[in-house]
Amino acid sequence: MTNRQSTRDLIRDLAAAPAPVPFNPVATAGGMLTLLVIGLVPFLAVSGLRPDLAAAWEQLPVQAKTVLPVLLSISAIWLALRSSRPEARLALWPLAVPAAPAIALVLWRLAGAEGSLLSETMGQTALVCLGSITLLSALPLAAGVCLLRRAAPTRPVLTGTLLGIAAAAGVTAGYALHCTEDSPLFFVTWYGLAIGIVGMTGAWLGHQFLRW
Amino acid sequence: MGMEVRLQQDETWEVLLARANDGDGAAFARFLHAVTPTLRAVIRRRGDGLPPDEHEDILQEVLLAIHLKRQTWRRDAPVRPWLYAVARYKVVDAFRRRGASVTLPIEDFAEVLPEENAAAPLSGRDAEVMLKMIDARSARLIRAVALDGKTAEEAGETVGMTAGAARVALHRAMRRLSDLAERMMK
Repeated sequence: MTNRQSTRDLIRDLAAAPAPVPFNPVATAGGMLTLLVIGLVPFLAVSGLRPDLAAAWEQLPVQAKTVLPVLLSISAIWLALRSSRPEARLALWPLAVPAAPAIALVLWRLAGAEGSLLSETMGQTALVCLGSITLLSALPLAAGVCLLRRAAPTRPVLTGTLLGIAAAAGVTAGYALHCTEDSPLFFVTWYGLAIGIVGMTGAWLGHQFLRW
Repeated sequence: MGMEVRLQQDETWEVLLARANDGDGAAFARFLHAVTPTLRAVIRRRGDGLPPDEHEDILQEVLLAIHLKRQTWRRDAPVRPWLYAVARYKVVDAFRRRGASVTLPIEDFAEVLPEENAAAPLSGRDAEVMLKMIDARSARLIRAVALDGKTAEEAGETVGMTAGAARVALHRAMRRLSDLAERMMK
């Protein structure tokens, strides 16, 4: 049924077809960032930056809960865009650069904590935190997956996961400017969980939409 | 192979693909002809368990993928690592799909469609449902090939497509059908 003549016909037809639209990594990262900001600005305008932001910024954990997600977002989007090329060889250690200090902060807090660790971990705003980060991540993640469909990732689930982590970590960095819970036990747990949920959503989207 | 176009000295794969991506169709045809023997060898080496006409099918899937993803090759990089990565991904994918319980549906359809309530995993009704889920022209092509035993050329004529265009459309439709079938089997 399928013979060499039909392969020659196919080649002739593919050669006559217009070249497909190229994948543009810069535009992809830019588009995701734009949508992320478009979501965050109204959120922060309505719910407000934390009132004591300037004073609180002196403390290391307060800096960490914005700076570490920024680092995570940058390394995840960088890896995601690299994974979009079929011949890419990926090493995932850049993700450990922000993750290691986060774990160190938790250990440091566990060593010095007094009172109930459980209530400190649960905090007051865990569900708001989870809900806000996941919802605000939806649009940038969806845009990232759409744009990556032009690329050729040979590990689509991994690429989708990285896109999810990049979007959620970016949102988290902004959300942290609103959030007044400064215990690493709280923010590493809940920010981490939110980023994980969006990462898993990205994995699913990758499986559905990034295979080719 | 008399039919394979011989490369001129300055026409490396890089030069050909770069020109192809700039819109030179003839260069793209020469590129595809040039890489075909290599791809055929790769597929033959991996595909002991499958009949040879399936090998040609897989080759065509790889060629189609090369076309669809050709812009992801960066022209400052060598072509070979890119090409082998694309081929590897598609070949692995193709063998996995054929190795799974759902093989490429065309032959299955020919057996299953005419009889009602067949006990096969893909019953006639499922096939009808699936055909409704793809666009009408592709469904007509599949019906013509699978039910009426027409060649792609004849099937293409019935919907006003050239043979090659019909073959590309068939490829895409079958890909979608096997995806649908996989989902329905879950």
